[in-house]
Amino acid sequence: MTKKASSALVVGGGVAGMQAALDIANQGFKVYLVERSPSIGGRMAMLDKTFPTLDCSACILTPKLSEVSRHPNIQLMTLSEVGSVTGSAGDFKVKIRRKARYVREDLCSGCGDCEANCPVEVANEFDQGIGFRKAIYALFPQATPHIYTVDKENCTDCGRCVKVCERNAIDMNMKDKFVTLDVGTIIVATGFELFDITQYPRLGYGQYPNVIHAMEFERLINAAGPTHGHLVRLSDGKKPKSIGFIQCVGARDVQKGVPYCSRVCCMYSIKNAVMALEHDPQAEVWVYYADIRAFGKGFEEFYEMAKSRFGVRFVRGRVAEVMEGKASHDLVVKVEDTVTSKVRLIEHDLVVISPGVIPSSGMDTMAKKLGIDQTDDGYIEISHSFFGPTVTKIPGVFVCGCADGPKDIPDSVSAGSAAAMKATIILSSGGK
Amino acid sequence: MSGSEEEPRIGVFVCHCGHNIAGTVNVEEVAQMASKLPGVVFATDEMFMCSDAGQVLIKDKIAEHNLNRVVVASCSPRMHEPTFRRVVEEAGLNRYLFDQVNLREHVSWCHMREPEKATEKAKDLVRMSVARAAKLQNLPVKKVSVLPTTMVVGGGIAGLRASLDIAERGFDVLLIEKTSKLGGNVAKWTHLFPTDESGADIIKPLIRDVKKHNRITILTDSKVSEFDGYIGNFGVTVKNLKTQKEQRYEVGTVIVTTGFEPFKPFGYYSYGESPDILTLAELQELTPSEQLLKPSDGKPVKKMVFIGCVGSRLPGVKGHEHCSRHCCSATAKAAADLRDSVEEVLVLYQDIRTYGKGHEEFHRMARQKHVIYSKFPQNEFPQVTVKKGKLTITWRDVLAAEDLSFEPDIIVLATAMIPPEDVEETSHLFSLTRSGDGFFNPEHIKLAPLTTHTAGVMIAGAAQAAKNASEAVIDASGAAAKAVGLMAQGEVEIESTVSHVIPELCSSCHTCLTACPYTAISMDETKDPPVAFVTEAKCHGCGTCAAACPSSAIVMYHSTDDQILTMVEAFLCPAPEAQGGS
Repeated sequence: MTKKASSALVVGGGVAGMQAALDIANQGFKVYLVERSPSIGGRMAMLDKTFPTLDCSACILTPKLSEVSRHPNIQLMTLSEVGSVTGSAGDFKVKIRRKARYVREDLCSGCGDCEANCPVEVANEFDQGIGFRKAIYALFPQATPHIYTVDKENCTDCGRCVKVCERNAIDMNMKDKFVTLDVGTIIVATGFELFDITQYPRLGYGQYPNVIHAMEFERLINAAGPTHGHLVRLSDGKKPKSIGFIQCVGARDVQKGVPYCSRVCCMYSIKNAVMALEHDPQAEVWVYYADIRAFGKGFEEFYEMAKSRFGVRFVRGRVAEVMEGKASHDLVVKVEDTVTSKVRLIEHDLVVISPGVIPSSGMDTMAKKLGIDQTDDGYIEISHSFFGPTVTKIPGVFVCGCADGPKDIPDSVSAGSAAAMKATIILSSGGK
Repeated sequence: MSGSEEEPRIGVFVCHCGHNIAGTVNVEEVAQMASKLPGVVFATDEMFMCSDAGQVLIKDKIAEHNLNRVVVASCSPRMHEPTFRRVVEEAGLNRYLFDQVNLREHVSWCHMREPEKATEKAKDLVRMSVARAAKLQNLPVKKVSVLPTTMVVGGGIAGLRASLDIAERGFDVLLIEKTSKLGGNVAKWTHLFPTDESGADIIKPLIRDVKKHNRITILTDSKVSEFDGYIGNFGVTVKNLKTQKEQRYEVGTVIVTTGFEPFKPFGYYSYGESPDILTLAELQELTPSEQLLKPSDGKPVKKMVFIGCVGSRLPGVKGHEHCSRHCCSATAKAAADLRDSVEEVLVLYQDIRTYGKGHEEFHRMARQKHVIYSKFPQNEFPQVTVKKGKLTITWRDVLAAEDLSFEPDIIVLATAMIPPEDVEETSHLFSLTRSGDGFFNPEHIKLAPLTTHTAGVMIAGAAQAAKNASEAVIDASGAAAKAVGLMAQGEVEIESTVSHVIPELCSSCHTCLTACPYTAISMDETKDPPVAFVTEAKCHGCGTCAAACPSSAIVMYHSTDDQILTMVEAFLCPAPEAQGGS
C-alpha cells in the first residue's frame, strides 16, 4: 500500500476557507491554507458591521484570524497561488507559487517603521481605492500574518525602508518560489467578487463622484477606513443628509448574464441604511428594491426594525436613472414606485449601489486546473443539492462558501465546516 | 495556587478599537492614569490590541518589564478573552493572570454623546480592574476526556446526514427518532427544489445507508427523557415511547436535529372550513398523480391559488415574525410543476424570495409557464370565503392597483416553519436558548451557527432556523465536523473559573444544590455529615451557589470575595495616585 497524504489544501483564506481549515486541523490533520492576497480574512475583513446583529465585522473576525494563524496544524501561505494539480483523492500533488513578498516572514515583526518611512502613496485596494496606502504595506490593521509586503509595481526602490528596518527583514532581491504539496484532499473556497456596475451607465457610477458602491460605503463608515469612519461625500466632504440605496444592480438581470439572486445585497443594504441613520439620525434614507429578501435567521425582524424603528423608507421599483446637478454634484433618482404606480424624482446627496455577487476572477483557470465543472453562471458545480452540496465532480475536491454561489457569512461558515467534514472522511480513509 | 505570590507587576493596555473606543473615550488619558496606579509598571494605548501587532506588543512588554499581570481595556471579553489569555500564556504567564475591561460595549458605545463622563467611567473601570489584577491567582488548566460517540436527536434529513458522516469518519452514532419512521418532513414531499426528485427519492438512499452502517444504532419511537453530564461525558436516558422502557447511554457529543413543523393555519384564510383549502405541506403529501384532484370531490383541479407568507412575517405576532425562507422557492417549484396540468395557477405574494441556487430559475420558469404572480398589500390580506363548498378569494393587486376576485378549485397556503410541539422540552433537556422565531439559538449567529452555549451540543438544520432541505444537509455535515473535532482530539479543555466547596465550612444545608441551575453540585455522602461538592466540568461559574451559601463555604475561583471587594474599594476609595496626587 502506498503511503497516502494525511494533509489537506484549502484554497482561499476568507471566512469559509478559514473555517474549513480550522475544522480539519482540529481533527489533527495538517492543513495548508493558500491565500493569494497578503493576508487572510477575505471580504469579511473589509466590512464594517454585520447583519442582523450589527456586530463589528473585524471584531468578531479577528479571533478567527488569530486562531488560524496560531493553530499548530495550519500552515498559512499568503501571497500564494495554486499552480498545477496532479494525482487523485488521497494523493494529490499541488504546485504552489509563493510570490516574492520582498519582506522576510521570519524576520518581520510588523513594527511598521518601513511604512512610516515610505514616500510612495498609492490607492488602497482594501479601501476600494478611496484611501491611500504606502508601497510597503500591511493590508489592514489586523492583517494576518502581520508581515509587511512590498508592492513592487509602485515601489521606487528608494531604499528608505531597507535602511530603517532594524531587523533587516526587507530583501528587494527576493524571487518567487515554487513548492509542491502532497495533500489528500483539496477544498476550494475562493469566494466572490462584486459585479462591475459601470455596466449600468444610467446609474452614474464612475461618472458622478457621489455615486458609490456598497463596499465603498462599508469602508467609508469603518473606523479603520480612509475617513476614520466619518460618512462623507467624496465630492466635497459634506455629510450626506439624504442617501439612496439601489438594489439588484448586477443581480437578477438576465440581460447582463447574472440571472440569479445575489442573496446578500438586501440585508447588507438594510444594514448600511441603518448604519447611515446611526451616523446621522436626522438623515433621510431610502432603499429602492424589487423584492426584499430577508430570509435568514433574524433577518425579517431586522428589516421590520429598519422600517419601524429607524424609519428607513423602502420604495419598490427598479431605478431608471440617476442624474447629477453639475455644480452641486447632488443627485436625483428617477424611479417608478410600482406600489403607487407613480414615477418619482427623489433628490439625494449620496447614492449607494448594491452590486451583485459574481465568481471570483481566476475561477475559470482554477476550475480547469482541478478538472471540476462550472455552472452557466461561472460558479463551481456541485454534484447534488442533497447528496453532495459541497462535493465536486472530482473525488477528493470539495467546495464551500461563495465559490459555488452567493452566500452570507453564517451559510459560508456552515459550508466551510461541511466541506471539512467531507475532506476528513477522505483523509481518515486514505483516499477512498 | 502558587506562582502568583510575588509582588504584582501589572501592564495595562488600552485599546482604541479604531474609532470605536477612541472616538468617545480619551484613551491616552486613561492609559496615563493607569500608569500611576499601584502595582502598574507599564501602561500604554494602542490602535487594535487584538491585532497581531497588539498581541506582539503585550508579549514584548511582558518580557521587557517582567510583567506578571496583564490588563487589557478593550471590548467585551466574549470574543477576545480567549485571544488575550492565549497571548499571556505564550509569554509564560498563567492565563488567569489576565483581566479584561470592557470599554466598548460598557462605555463608548452606550455613552457616545457624553465623552467626558465616558472617560471618567473608563478610568474607574480600569482602576478597579488593576486592583483586581493584583489579587489574581494562577489556576490550573484542566482537561476532560471525550467519549467517541455522538447522539443525534432527530432522524430527518439533517439527522441522517450527520449520522452518516460521523459513522463514515469512524465514530459511533446513536440516532434517536421519536416517530416510528426515519426521514422526517422531507420524506413526505413530492416536489423538492431545486432538483426534480421527490422527497422519497432523496431520503430512501440515505435511510438505506444509515441502516446498513454498523457504527449507527437507530432508536425509533424513542425520546431522550433525561440528559446530564458535561462535554465529552454526557449521560442520556432514552425512553421507548411504545414500551415505556428506559435505557441509559453514554455519549461524548450531541447533535440536535429536531427540525420543524409546518404551521397549521387555523384562523387564516378559512383554513379548516373546506378540504380544498390546504397547506403547501399538505399539498406536497398528496399522492402523486398525472392530474391534481380536488380533495373534496376528486374532480380535476382547473384553477388554483397559492398564498404566500401564511403565519410568517407578521410583526408583533409572537413566533410568527420570521420569514420561513423555503416557501417562496417551494411555491415557485410546485406552481411551475402543477401548471402543466392545471389551467390557471395564481401565486399571491408580498415579496418573492427565490434567493438560492437555481431558485430564481424556478420563479422565472413559473412565469414562463404563465403562472400569474400578484402582489398583495402588506397590511391588507386577501379574503377567502367558502359558500356551499365553493371557494372565492378577493384581494387587492398592488401593481395593477385593482381589486380582484377569483374562484379557484383549491387554495394552497404556504405556511410558516415553526418549531415542533415539544421544542420547549428539548430546550430544557439540553439547556438551549431559543430566539423569537422559536428555534434554537446558535452560539454565535454569524460565526458559530452550528454550536450552542451548551458545550458539546450542536444544532443543525431547521432546529436552528427555518431553512430548506439542501441547507439542512450542509448544516448537518458541518455539525458533524464539530462533533468529530471534539472526539478526534479525545480530550477538551474546561474552564477553571468554577466554584469550589471548602468541606470544613460546609454545614450540609443543601442550599447550593437547589441554587445551581446546572445541576453541577451534589452531596458527598461518604462524609459525615455529607458535604457538597462541585462537578467542575458542569459548572458554568455563574456564582449563584457562592452567593446563596449561608456558611461562606463556597469559593468562586477567579471571582473570589477578596478580588471583588478589592474592586469595590478601588471604585469607592481610589488610591491618591489615581487622582494625580501621591
